[in-house]
Amino acid sequence: MEEYPEELRTPPVALVSLVGCPEHHQAISGYLHSQQPPINVLALPDFSKVPVVLSKKVKDSGSGDPPSGILKRDWLLKHRTKVPALMAALFSSLDISGDPTQWLQVCSDLENLKAAIRPRNVKLVLVVVLQSTSADDINEDRMIALKKRAEVDSKYLLMYTPNDVSELKLSLNRLGNAFSELASVHYREEGRRIRTKVEKRGYNFPELHMRYCFKVAIYAEFRRDWNEALKFYEEAYRILREIVGTSTRLPPIQRLVEIKSVAEQLQFKISTLLLHGGKVMEAVQWFCQYNVAYKRLVGAPQVPYLHWEWMSRQFLVFAELLETSSATMQSISSLVVGGTDRTLTEWEFRPAYYYQLAANYLKKKQSSLEISLSMTDNSSEADSSIDSVVPSIYVGQFARSLGQGDELFMHPLTDEQYVQYTLAERKRFQDSYEIIALLKKAYESYSSLKAQRMSSTCGLKIAKEYFSLDDYANTKQLCDGIITLYRQEGWVALIWEVLGYLKECSRKLGAVKSFIEYSLEMAALPVHPDTNITFLGFVESGPTGPPSLQQREHIQKEVMELIGKDSGDGLSVEKSTDLRLSEKNPLNLEIDFVSPLRTVLLASVAFHEQMIKPGVSTLITLSLLSQLPLSIEIDQIDLQFNQSHCNFSITNKEKYASTTMFSSVEQSQRMEIASSLILTTNRWLRLTYEIKSEQSGKLECVLIIVKLGPHFSIICRAESPASMADLPLWKFEDRAETFPTKDPALALTGQKGTQIEEPEPLVDLALGATGPALVGESFMVPVTVMAKGHDVYSGELKINLVDVRGGGLFSPRETEASFLDGHHVELLSIAGAEWEDKSQGSDSNINRIQQSFGLISVPTVKNGETWSCELEIKWHRPKPIMLFVSLGYFSQESDPTSQKINIHKSLQIEGKIAVMINHRIMLPFRQDPLLLSMVKPPEADQLVSLPLGESNVLIVSARNCTEVPIRVESLSIETDSSSPSTSCCIKPGSGPGSPGFTLLVAEEEFKKIFTVKAEVDSTPLSLGIVCLRWRRDPGSHDPSTRTIVTTKHKLPDVNVEVPPLIVSLVCPPYAVLGDPFTYFVKIQNQTPLLQELKVSLSDSQSFLMSGTHSGTVFVLPKSEHIMSYKVIPLSSGTQQLPKYSFTSTRYSAGFQPSVAASTIFVFPSEPRFKGVNDRGKNLESVATI
Amino acid sequence: MIVCVAIVGHQNNPLYIQSFTEGDDALKLHHVVHCSLDVVDERVNNPKKSGPMLNETYLGLLYPTENYKVYGYLTNTKVKFILVTTDLDIKDADVRNFFRKFHAAYVDAVSNPFHVPGKKITSKTFAERISTIVKAFGLSSAG
Repeated sequence: MEEYPEELRTPPVALVSLVGCPEHHQAISGYLHSQQPPINVLALPDFSKVPVVLSKKVKDSGSGDPPSGILKRDWLLKHRTKVPALMAALFSSLDISGDPTQWLQVCSDLENLKAAIRPRNVKLVLVVVLQSTSADDINEDRMIALKKRAEVDSKYLLMYTPNDVSELKLSLNRLGNAFSELASVHYREEGRRIRTKVEKRGYNFPELHMRYCFKVAIYAEFRRDWNEALKFYEEAYRILREIVGTSTRLPPIQRLVEIKSVAEQLQFKISTLLLHGGKVMEAVQWFCQYNVAYKRLVGAPQVPYLHWEWMSRQFLVFAELLETSSATMQSISSLVVGGTDRTLTEWEFRPAYYYQLAANYLKKKQSSLEISLSMTDNSSEADSSIDSVVPSIYVGQFARSLGQGDELFMHPLTDEQYVQYTLAERKRFQDSYEIIALLKKAYESYSSLKAQRMSSTCGLKIAKEYFSLDDYANTKQLCDGIITLYRQEGWVALIWEVLGYLKECSRKLGAVKSFIEYSLEMAALPVHPDTNITFLGFVESGPTGPPSLQQREHIQKEVMELIGKDSGDGLSVEKSTDLRLSEKNPLNLEIDFVSPLRTVLLASVAFHEQMIKPGVSTLITLSLLSQLPLSIEIDQIDLQFNQSHCNFSITNKEKYASTTMFSSVEQSQRMEIASSLILTTNRWLRLTYEIKSEQSGKLECVLIIVKLGPHFSIICRAESPASMADLPLWKFEDRAETFPTKDPALALTGQKGTQIEEPEPLVDLALGATGPALVGESFMVPVTVMAKGHDVYSGELKINLVDVRGGGLFSPRETEASFLDGHHVELLSIAGAEWEDKSQGSDSNINRIQQSFGLISVPTVKNGETWSCELEIKWHRPKPIMLFVSLGYFSQESDPTSQKINIHKSLQIEGKIAVMINHRIMLPFRQDPLLLSMVKPPEADQLVSLPLGESNVLIVSARNCTEVPIRVESLSIETDSSSPSTSCCIKPGSGPGSPGFTLLVAEEEFKKIFTVKAEVDSTPLSLGIVCLRWRRDPGSHDPSTRTIVTTKHKLPDVNVEVPPLIVSLVCPPYAVLGDPFTYFVKIQNQTPLLQELKVSLSDSQSFLMSGTHSGTVFVLPKSEHIMSYKVIPLSSGTQQLPKYSFTSTRYSAGFQPSVAASTIFVFPSEPRFKGVNDRGKNLESVATI
Repeated sequence: MIVCVAIVGHQNNPLYIQSFTEGDDALKLHHVVHCSLDVVDERVNNPKKSGPMLNETYLGLLYPTENYKVYGYLTNTKVKFILVTTDLDIKDADVRNFFRKFHAAYVDAVSNPFHVPGKKITSKTFAERISTIVKAFGLSSAG
């Protein structure tokens, strides 16, 4: 587009001319320029310049001769820059109102001006420049005279006031309006004048018709009448189409060139107008028609390049137009939908499409130019004559300018001269860069539209251009990008083409590795031997020729020769290039799971078993597959495993014989010899060997290194048959697919790795704990290691205590909590007699014990021996735990390669509380002190009250809560060291305390009685702590093996009170039927006050009774009052004595003895006891229970 | 005249591509067919909102190159049929008709129990049938 002159590219702008008063021109032209639409200004300083500018050549109006061209080259420029639409004559008001000489000068200037503008029909405007702000000094008569002389309408006689800012603005505005109005009038008149010519058909030549149409359209554009402009451009275009075949004015080649040049301008105008009017659809359709109409006009066979160049330019210009207007365009898809007919497609609205075609035509031009140049290579003598060829005054014409003196004559050219001229011109340009630039635009545009296939095609074309320019690095880079898409989608023919370029570039760049890679990939492409007949029609199939089986074989041979596998048959690569492999630069080709070279060599490895025992051999099958067209003989295959000692090599029998020296270097590695290692097309080469490993864990085949020739090897990643991806490209082919292994099941499930089990431990680990553990005791868990087949070297015993409730593990929170208040369960120590003996002096032995974890080393245990230790665990809380013990050891001494063997054992142990201690305090029998604190309603947490100075009974009982029999060693009460020891006196009662120990079985209770006598009235009184010393019943074992545990139980504090009254009942321990006895009620007043008591006694049916039944008793201070009753039992058995009750008036406290206290056993007759002494004692003991 | 027909699979891989030119532009036709997949993608991803195009298998004119016109057809199984022709004005109905026959032939070919889905169609019968359809199309459009 840039090559068009500016007046063609931009819409026409009206031109006005200013003359006179040059000091104001700047202001006026600046204002007019900024107007919308702008007006260009041609400023003439004085009136003498006017005739020069407006001079008009005298045209021969005779219509006899045909015009020598269609459009004049500079006509439009003339109207844009030279011929104004109106002339504005500026006169100073001083001149007008001045003396007669000044006035005369004004008049003569005006006359001259009128004369000059008349032939051009230029409008006239008079501007009077007011020199002072007041308008008074203007001579009215002179003004009228001026108007008359100028023959202008009064509205075109304008005042211009430069001195006042507001007035200046107004006058500028006036000027602008008047100018644009008059300019429009001028252009309309001019247009109409020529239009009349068109309509009257006052000419005989279509060239003139066209020229007039063009002019009308330009005039219409001047006044922004786009529709009319478009109409006349189209009209001109139509006429041009008519004269294509008919005109004979010029020699044929130049004639066509002229027509095309004019058509180009017209089409440019039309397209611009359509696109700027938003009619994208119409513009594209128009361009399509235009393209169709002119595409075939190739012209003379000598100059096809002119046509292609011209076509290319058309597309380029349209692409650029479309691109500039696409910013304002609405979305393409809506355009396509909007179109009723579907003759236009999406791409036709994209500039990329046109750029691409422009490049295509330019390419055509390049090739046809080459042909033309080669044909006329010897005609260099004509150079001198074409030096002077210049564009002539008509659009699309060229002529020789012959200088004769000062004047230049244009001399028409013959076609031969013209052809020579064009050839010489075009020779100077390098089209390839232009083509690349165009394609790059298309490429980027398509890429941004995500049309990757289109952009790939463009990219490939760019690459080809670079290739033709010998820019191999760029070619390779582009092709590498493109081929990915083609590989992905499996377009074999396209891959072949791109690979061909890549291969050649690598060859030219001397890149051996990539050359071999690309060659091998090409050779392994699925080009069908039977269907390739149709493929044979390739012309531009890259530097390698069309894809065929022969080509593939040829390429493979080339590579084999390069790597030294083949002797070569004359088509040596090395001769032509510097590609060479030697000992110094060997080549390793790597093939991974996604490499396109998997078609060249696919290595699959399958272990026949998924899990094997250490040291037991299993089978491994290596399968190789190649799609190369010719068989390859492999020299050696190395298999590499993750356990490097398993690596081994497979070598060809013949090669092995010839290269024994070579292989003797690596004697340490296993070497297998195969009878033949020939890899044929699409047939698995299966090799099965035994393999074994001592080391447990994963054994996996990692790499397969296939050596071909002395300096070349292919490193393949091993693939599992079970998870092998399909071969790229070949997966779409209809080929015979076989399994990589003979066993189809293995082909479906086979893995490249296998799991080697850990060696079987031949050692027993026993945890010998029985029963639950008791809280407080040191629970011993014996651990025994028995070697039954292995010696145990550097054994390590790991002990873990884990909370069962935490799912086998301590949760962090639990751990934290147990750290805060000490561990609930603790591993105290590990006691192993033997170990302690042996480990003396050896610091290396590990012995670490934490609260829940222990690690100790186990000494060497020979086969058949045992070693044991004991874990001492203490429970602080009742809690079940899991004990994990694991032993890791080596079965051989000082063999670093041998495997560590592990054995694990676990045991759940309950922790239980052994004994529950209870106590009870009882007042003396049948003696009831009045404790005032008991009278009040009971409160929570009220302490038990004890009467001062009385002997109370304390019963402490310990119950075995477990199933484990325990031995109670002793039960005692220790007084708190803090409280004064004299405050109370606790003495063991005369219970059944046995001298040694008491065995307690499950749920059995042990009791001991104490007498408590409070001696000091101190509140509260601490009674002390019960200490129970017990141990687990050792049974028949030595009791010293069980530690004694002391369980402590604190007795609650008590109140000590001085009772004001004590009532005691005195009666014999038993009675005999009919035998009278006396029973006393003793009331003791311990206060220094007189106590009044109401007494009442209720009768009992079992007794006959004498004495007062009710009454009031007064007890003197610090004295005793005794009431006696004589009773006779009337019935035998346990009987209720007559009940009495007291009410103390001072303390308003009533008293009634308990049922137990007022019960007596009545024998039917005098009982016979063995000893009189024993009698009372026995009875008492019965009563206490 | 039809110069090339092609069947393109799910992964945009060619399943069958056959050119009918005496000349030497088979590779160019490969490029043309491959590029036309971009348009198919765009048509499929931006379906027309209006009209009866909703369940339409016929994609219409995909794009014009300098010398060819490319038409497309998309089956329910997302297999694409591409037709490249040199006829510049050609009736839509003819193309539709051609694609219908083409589709029928394809269905028959893949119904062959020995055909593995997703692989290239190598059946000779299919190739013959296609060339018959192509010839018939040439006759009908010429007449």
